[in-house]
Amino acid sequence: MRASIGIRDRSKPFKYLALGLWSLLVLFPLWTMLVNSFKFKNDIYLDPFGLPRAFNIGGYQTVFHNSPFPRYFLNSLVVTVVSIALILFLGSLAAYSCVRWRSRLARWIYLFFVAGLTVPIKIGSVNLLQIMISLGLLDTTMSVVPVYVAMGLPIAVYTLFEFIRGLPEELTEAALIDGTGPFRIYRSIIVPLVRPALATVAIFNLVPIWNDLWFPLIFIRKDDQRTLILGVTRLFGEYQTDWSKILAVLSLSCVPVILLYLAMAKQFIAGLTAGAVKG
Amino acid sequence: MKRSFRTPQDNWIVWLLFALPAVVVYAVFMAFPVVNSMRLSFFSGSGYSLNNFVGFDNYVRLFTDSEISKRFWCAFRNNWIFFGITMLVQNSIGLLFALILTGKPLKGKGFFRTIIFIPVTLSVLVTGYIWKLILNPQWGALNILLSKIGLSSLALPWLGDPRSALVAVTLVSAWQWVGMPTMMFIAGLERIPEDLFESAQIDGAGIWRIFAKVKLPLLMPIVGIVTVLTFVGNFNAFDVVYAMEGANGPPDYSTDLMGTFFYRTGIAGQHPVGIPDMGLGAAVATVTFLVLFAGILIAGRLTGERNEDPGRSGAERRA
Amino acid sequence: MKKGLSFKTIAACLALVVFASFAASAQAKVQLTMGSWRADDVTQMTQLLSAFSKKYPNIEIKFDPTNPPDYNAALHLQLQSGIGPDLMYARSYDTGIQLYKEGYFLDVSDLPGLKKVYSDLARAPWVDPASGKSFALPFCAVSHGVYYNQDIFKKLGIAIPSTWEDFLAVCKKLQAAGVTPLANGIADQWDINEVVFMNIMPNFVGGAAGRLAYETGKVPFNDAKMVAAFQAMKDIAPFCPKGFEALTYNDENALFVNQKAAMYFDGSWTMASFKDLKFNWSVFAPPPPKGSKGYVTFHPDSGIAINPKSANIDACKTFLQWLYSDEAASIVSNSVPTGFFPIASNAAKIEDAHANAFLQMTKSHPTDVRFVWPKLMSGNPSGYNLLQDGAIAVMTGKMTPKEAADSLQAGLAKWYVPAK
Repeated sequence: MRASIGIRDRSKPFKYLALGLWSLLVLFPLWTMLVNSFKFKNDIYLDPFGLPRAFNIGGYQTVFHNSPFPRYFLNSLVVTVVSIALILFLGSLAAYSCVRWRSRLARWIYLFFVAGLTVPIKIGSVNLLQIMISLGLLDTTMSVVPVYVAMGLPIAVYTLFEFIRGLPEELTEAALIDGTGPFRIYRSIIVPLVRPALATVAIFNLVPIWNDLWFPLIFIRKDDQRTLILGVTRLFGEYQTDWSKILAVLSLSCVPVILLYLAMAKQFIAGLTAGAVKG
Repeated sequence: MKRSFRTPQDNWIVWLLFALPAVVVYAVFMAFPVVNSMRLSFFSGSGYSLNNFVGFDNYVRLFTDSEISKRFWCAFRNNWIFFGITMLVQNSIGLLFALILTGKPLKGKGFFRTIIFIPVTLSVLVTGYIWKLILNPQWGALNILLSKIGLSSLALPWLGDPRSALVAVTLVSAWQWVGMPTMMFIAGLERIPEDLFESAQIDGAGIWRIFAKVKLPLLMPIVGIVTVLTFVGNFNAFDVVYAMEGANGPPDYSTDLMGTFFYRTGIAGQHPVGIPDMGLGAAVATVTFLVLFAGILIAGRLTGERNEDPGRSGAERRA
Repeated sequence: MKKGLSFKTIAACLALVVFASFAASAQAKVQLTMGSWRADDVTQMTQLLSAFSKKYPNIEIKFDPTNPPDYNAALHLQLQSGIGPDLMYARSYDTGIQLYKEGYFLDVSDLPGLKKVYSDLARAPWVDPASGKSFALPFCAVSHGVYYNQDIFKKLGIAIPSTWEDFLAVCKKLQAAGVTPLANGIADQWDINEVVFMNIMPNFVGGAAGRLAYETGKVPFNDAKMVAAFQAMKDIAPFCPKGFEALTYNDENALFVNQKAAMYFDGSWTMASFKDLKFNWSVFAPPPPKGSKGYVTFHPDSGIAINPKSANIDACKTFLQWLYSDEAASIVSNSVPTGFFPIASNAAKIEDAHANAFLQMTKSHPTDVRFVWPKLMSGNPSGYNLLQDGAIAVMTGKMTPKEAADSLQAGLAKWYVPAK
């Protein structure tokens, strides 16, 4: 905690006001979604914001009854965790390499990754589909992992490059003089110091990977290999005129990723307090 | 000055091995498919493969054909508006929240941090649907609220009016993503050493002076990252418009962005025929790529200059 | 001594194995997938397909639709990579012809008995005019009309209008009584285009003959009749709900269902959402302007095509043949999703009363297909878009009906030869 030397924080009420207003702005839409998922279809139109007049769990029942939601959830979980682990590991290695390896090649490699930030990867869809077919991965849950890793690397390399670049070289200098190998340095010194950045990159990628619709749509057609959001969109089309069902589906789809984020956020905070540079 | 380490451990093979796995995965699953598809911008045709070489014809059509170029410039312009509003709203609010949350002790920091970040975790299906519901002219909370407080003249069809639709969609996008710049600014602010603050406070500096002279300069690298990521994210934006308005960017193409224009041209084709013009789509994607790459280079140049300044890190400053 | 198996025993075993494997493969289930944009119809189509599997137990077909907004993109991508579904819905006319020309549909002209069950007219929407080949089996057509709340009409003493002018008067009367006359909105662009504008279009241009006059260049696309059609769209705008600029297809359904709106231009497929309504409703044909003939838009909506890259083409053909077989006729008619009408000439009577109301309209009125479908969608700017953007512009006051018609003519003239 910062020890402020006895200066009263006159702006506290404004801070609470700003945060409080924003919290309302965030919670109200979520409340709307949740509360309407428990109403009967027509009651939603008659009173979109109040509590349910008659409690209806039909939406939730349909979701669990008609589709393998637990299976979808597991698939998404595996895909997300594996992809993020690979993005962080490969990305941080590459970023560290680009920062410390002083050569034209390193500069080109860095630009190569940064260029990837700019491209809509959808354009490569046909080629990717063909690659997946030839690798025999089509129609499997894991088929989307290499694509997500490839998509996440530019952000990882770009962000970690900036963070690692900002670390003072004195830290690694001492270790090098001691004779420590680069990988040890990476593992014991660099990684702990850039934990906040790693967590940022992880969270930055967590959401697009978890919520991605496009690649699961074109790579996966077997029902039990589908990811959660893909499963959700299908129900969307099927129930499009029944809001209570759709909202039940949407409410359920939020929960896993919020929980995953909370788990990762702990890491982020831990990293922040550990990595704060003390004079 | 930077010293280069020519110690026995610092040989290029190690660095190459560090970078190689990432480079390989990236090259096979992103670079190659994308470049190969961009190559298609020099071809035309359809079917199982494009094989009719037409040189720069697709680019010429993109900029001179009255229908196509009209859509292109409209999407381009809309994207800049989208970017401007996002920078103004999303990133300033993010900075504000980061400052509040890393400033003097406040009760419930963890709670607020989570609340701010929850929208980021939601699928755009969820945010698009809920906000469409809130902005609905018949049943939406916004218009009902406005009517109740006597402002029913303002109860407009937000998503249906070409003057307001883009702003509405952009604000929804900002609502969703505020958590990202907040988090990145927190990461940046937490790195600033405490004693810098303490010495400034002893000097009697007020909040604004501290912000302007101490926090802001040290935040600049983060501002750079956030700006670049916002720029790139906005010019690739597609999901939020697709979820709230549709791939045509209605009403009257006012919400058409480069992402939706590309999707319509190169992937989905125009409804209901649904046959894309992949060569033209590749041209659009290539042009988007060039715009973004130019933006990143310019931003890199600007922040690179800043990084040459003394005071790059607290440690160096005191050296 | 080696106690080997005698030659006879070995031969018997081999024979058994060979026989068993043949038997197994003969009974091996063939699994087909059917792609479609009708995500709403999962329950009913699954029913239809399992009826087929009762007759052919070793063929199983899975109905695997994609949501409409994603359908074109996902399908085209999969077809391009050679992995599309075995069977798929095919849109009629240009939309389907293009996919056939790219080689994504199998030629099905030689299915036995095809021409007997489907007249040339019935097959035409799924025939490539250049080669005369059928690229899909005609499956279902849809009708369009004006749904109306009978209870509200009765309460206010309103009769079904017989002319367009009467219709507008009815709208005024409803509005005066505090009821929103029409449920329609424009946020879902395909909706206002296909089920409102193209619904009333034949009334203003003179049905199929009128459309042909435009298509052959006898009259320009901005003649008085077309201007009148756009004017009609402008005329209904004041009777649409407040905020109609942002109302989607689902919102419109909700308004009609909750009796907030008395009438609703829509297609027959929406009947499914109106199954358990608590009020009396029916449908009438949109009335023509005074002095003109009244038409109903009866549109060949979906055919079923075979993917030439399917691994089980014979199984696919078996399915198609079953679809139009006499024995399946009544199963098909009563299993297809509500609001879809089988095109086969041996189609059995449909039981649903409201569906029959629609059919009644098509029997008592001359019909035509959706205006732009046959010839006006293959170029850029597509006639579909020109009509859509024009209708929306006219309803929001951005263009006058004359300007919209002129823009239609100018746009089509860019590529449609007879319009030049």
